[in-house]
Amino acid sequence: MNQKPGVCTFCGTGCGHFIGVENNRIARVYPSQNHPVSKGRLCVRGWNIHELLDTPDRIKKPLIRSDGPFVEASCDEAVGRLIDSLKKYPPESIGFLASPRSSNEEQYLLMKLARSVFGTNNICLDSESGHRASLNVLHAGTGMAGMLGSIEEIRGAEFILVVGIDITRQNPIIGSEIHMAARAGAMVVTMDSRRTQIARLSKKFLQVRPGANKLAVLALAKTIYEENLHDPSFLEAHTEGFEGFRRAFGKLSENELYEKTGLKADEIKTVARHLARAKSAMVFFSSGISGLDEDTIGYIYNLFLLAGKIGKEGCGVNPIAGLNNLQGGYDMGLAPDLLTGFQPLADAATAKKFEKEWGTALPSSPGKPIYRSLADQASELKALVVVDHDEGIVRYADAIKKLDFVAYIGAFKNPFAEYAHVVLPIATYVQEDATFTNAERRIQLSTKKIEPEDGLLPGWKLYSMIAAKAGRAWKYAKVSEVMDEIARLTPAYAGVTHAKLAGGFGLQWPVDDKNPGGTRRFDLAKAGRKLAFYGVSDVFEAPSADDRFPFLLMVGKAQHFWHQNNLMKKTHIPMREYNATLMDYPEGYVEICPQSAKEIGVRDRWPVRVVSPHGEMRVSARVSDDVSPNTAYAPYFVQEMISRFLLGHTEVLRQGEDATIPVRIEKV
Amino acid sequence: MFLIKKSDVGKIAEELARDHQVYGPMIEKGSGQTFFDRADDVSEISLSAPIPSNPPKSVVFPQMERVLAYEYDRPKNSVKIEPDYKVEPKALVGLRPCDLAGMLCLDRFFMGQEFVDEVYLAHRKKMFIVTNTCVAPFKQCFCVCTDSGPAASEGYDLNLTDLGDEFLVETGSEKGAVFAAGLGLAAADDSHLARKKKIVDKSISLFEDIAVDSKAWISRVMNRVTTGFVKEEVWEYIGDQCFECGACSFVCPSCSCFNIADVTNPECEGCADRLRSWDSCSYEGYSRMAGGHNPRKPVEDRRNKRFFCKLSYSQMKKYLRPGCVGCGRCAWVCPGDIGLPNVVTYVRREITR
Repeated sequence: MNQKPGVCTFCGTGCGHFIGVENNRIARVYPSQNHPVSKGRLCVRGWNIHELLDTPDRIKKPLIRSDGPFVEASCDEAVGRLIDSLKKYPPESIGFLASPRSSNEEQYLLMKLARSVFGTNNICLDSESGHRASLNVLHAGTGMAGMLGSIEEIRGAEFILVVGIDITRQNPIIGSEIHMAARAGAMVVTMDSRRTQIARLSKKFLQVRPGANKLAVLALAKTIYEENLHDPSFLEAHTEGFEGFRRAFGKLSENELYEKTGLKADEIKTVARHLARAKSAMVFFSSGISGLDEDTIGYIYNLFLLAGKIGKEGCGVNPIAGLNNLQGGYDMGLAPDLLTGFQPLADAATAKKFEKEWGTALPSSPGKPIYRSLADQASELKALVVVDHDEGIVRYADAIKKLDFVAYIGAFKNPFAEYAHVVLPIATYVQEDATFTNAERRIQLSTKKIEPEDGLLPGWKLYSMIAAKAGRAWKYAKVSEVMDEIARLTPAYAGVTHAKLAGGFGLQWPVDDKNPGGTRRFDLAKAGRKLAFYGVSDVFEAPSADDRFPFLLMVGKAQHFWHQNNLMKKTHIPMREYNATLMDYPEGYVEICPQSAKEIGVRDRWPVRVVSPHGEMRVSARVSDDVSPNTAYAPYFVQEMISRFLLGHTEVLRQGEDATIPVRIEKV
Repeated sequence: MFLIKKSDVGKIAEELARDHQVYGPMIEKGSGQTFFDRADDVSEISLSAPIPSNPPKSVVFPQMERVLAYEYDRPKNSVKIEPDYKVEPKALVGLRPCDLAGMLCLDRFFMGQEFVDEVYLAHRKKMFIVTNTCVAPFKQCFCVCTDSGPAASEGYDLNLTDLGDEFLVETGSEKGAVFAAGLGLAAADDSHLARKKKIVDKSISLFEDIAVDSKAWISRVMNRVTTGFVKEEVWEYIGDQCFECGACSFVCPSCSCFNIADVTNPECEGCADRLRSWDSCSYEGYSRMAGGHNPRKPVEDRRNKRFFCKLSYSQMKKYLRPGCVGCGRCAWVCPGDIGLPNVVTYVRREITR
């Protein structure tokens, strides 16, 4: 039989699959029936992963260039050039842009390489901080920097809230579990400004005005509190800091809340009562490329804590990682201020533990996130190492071109490599044993399926080689020894070994002496601490439209990430599917409802001009019932829009999924 | 008709392995999942394994297959085209009746019409098929509703039926008869055939208690689907739940749609591989035409199309049987819970009203 078990590495769901191999090439894929997360299902991406894994569009030879075009080089030579180039600069001027796709072992070693070999804390993941915001809230509130619930418990939840995430497109199998729960009787409520598929499948759809998710969540919390639907003894015994949250309730009158959210009193009250009275409740929100802002996540967490829906079976506050190892990336300390397992770099005891294990001092100067440095004209950043960059559109291309030195390390051909001076190939994830941590903290081992092409090193070997050539010999005989080191340094991974993961469906961290079989969800009974309400602001700047700019334009990001995804472009069928929208609207589109289209005097695919206080762009109109009158939606995958129109809106874009811009839409 | 002892039944595969690549149901040890796959070791084949999770159609119609390679020489303005598919003789041992019915649908699609598909034909023509009667159904089965089981009636070379202590071996072709004769087996008589009938009847009666996951009263909905008298709201209700993953087509033993992609080789200018791979009518891009027109743009229209293929009389005339073979795999893999049995229920619900 020729079926090798593994883990799908597109999104953060972590579905199980079997890969078929013919002549050392990946030939097919089939879902794993008994996998606890995916239970025999895959999405359009997962069903076609063999197309990606068989692509000839790989980087196969090390490349270097001085002034002219790339020339092929030996691995030795390219690594030598990389080290010489980086060593020219002080650590503050070197940066590492890591990938949320790399395995835990590769991420950990890149982190170790940056800190222990090149002495810099300038390391971060190549996606924005959506997931970090979620982890900050959950870690501060409960001590667990990851999903509090579990995908396996979705079908047992009585109430499910989905906030601002097109989940059946972004993480379809999690969306499927929510759909199955709804079919079994759960009260599924979607809160979004756009009617998504999950909105249509929900029992209740709260179509909030763009930018008003936080207010709608506040309105739910306020109802629960004012109708005394919460359990005061739970608040007293298990929580702290409620007063701070409660203060926000008085900021706006009920009428103001309804007006700003566009929701009706009875909608809010019905949903709040369902949430409070359900035995178990979960909430899902986007935490991917750009999720909700930290304050909105704080409100969501606080709502569920007030309702007493944290730490029990079928409960959980669940940020959904859009990328396969985004959670693992934070677990592996890919942030300027973090070491593994969300341990702060600033903590002296932790730093000491790492220094002892690594036999070197940790860099003391604080690091900066790479994207912030690239956006900052006065940044000291001069040299950058980038791993497996994901997006087809390279943002900050101008800033990257200005750097003195760029190295690209990756398995697949990538537009980012155009900016590099040194390109180093690595093997793909099916060419080596590797672990990945999904959105629900499940660490899964994906075993080697085919041999790497001649001369290609898996990431862990390449990083070891770089370290050795730079004068620090790491002694890993096998990739499993990297995980052993991670386990020694990371309490949540303390009990993880490749041997323990082999042949199973993974373990959810924390995996330690107390939880040798992993931890399905955050458990109030075992928490040993009070749960803290998150310190949220009571400032509500819901954007408003006026006569000059009557439309509120939502800028959707996460759900369209796959459109310009570099990996998607190496497949056939998913590329065709994701590009279908682009083919229909080659210049990009702005979605408006039929009534608005009539008022403007345009039809589907007619050109329109979108004018904001900061700029304008020409796109096609897409007429759809999915948006309300006077709201418009533009997906974040059109080159011109990202490179021109949105440049003047950086402040707005920082708001993530809630980003909203008042605009005028004109017939051209 | 012959008899073969249970302890000897493995000899059939062993014998076939002499001049065939043998495929059959095997259980993956780590996960317990059954696959119908190529057997490197024929002793791995299990006739008692549950229905394979994957459709055996992948043997004749692989998920992704290099059908040809071409090399264009620009200066000489010449092109070299080489077929690039495997044509070794194959034996399928332990094929379930529903999966055989699916393959017969594929035969009629790929070979029974005006154009014969050369690649499919190459896979299919040197094939030896040994079916295995289902003495009991599995949870998701409904072949009794689609006339494709629990015993195969045509299209096999040999058919095995587990009579308890031995297997009844029926021959369904000249090739099968010659092969069976060569095995030197004891002859069976009408009493064995009567025992088989009893076993098949019992299997049918077991559906009520065992095959509880899916019921699909196909005959009731066929008229509606054929004439198009299913209300739009029903298709919209179904379409709303479609995740557009393509799984239903991929796991369906009778789904034949494919995509063609020419993949250029970056290391050889002018060289390309032509890949044929499974495609699905659930995908928007599948029915999108050049120029952007899409006759089946809304997802419910695409769902409608799928069930027309599986449940309409017009399609049945092409397959000479219903397009659905009652294996129940689509219900397993559907993230939207709109496998064929549920769709039949929704259409029937409307009729009942």
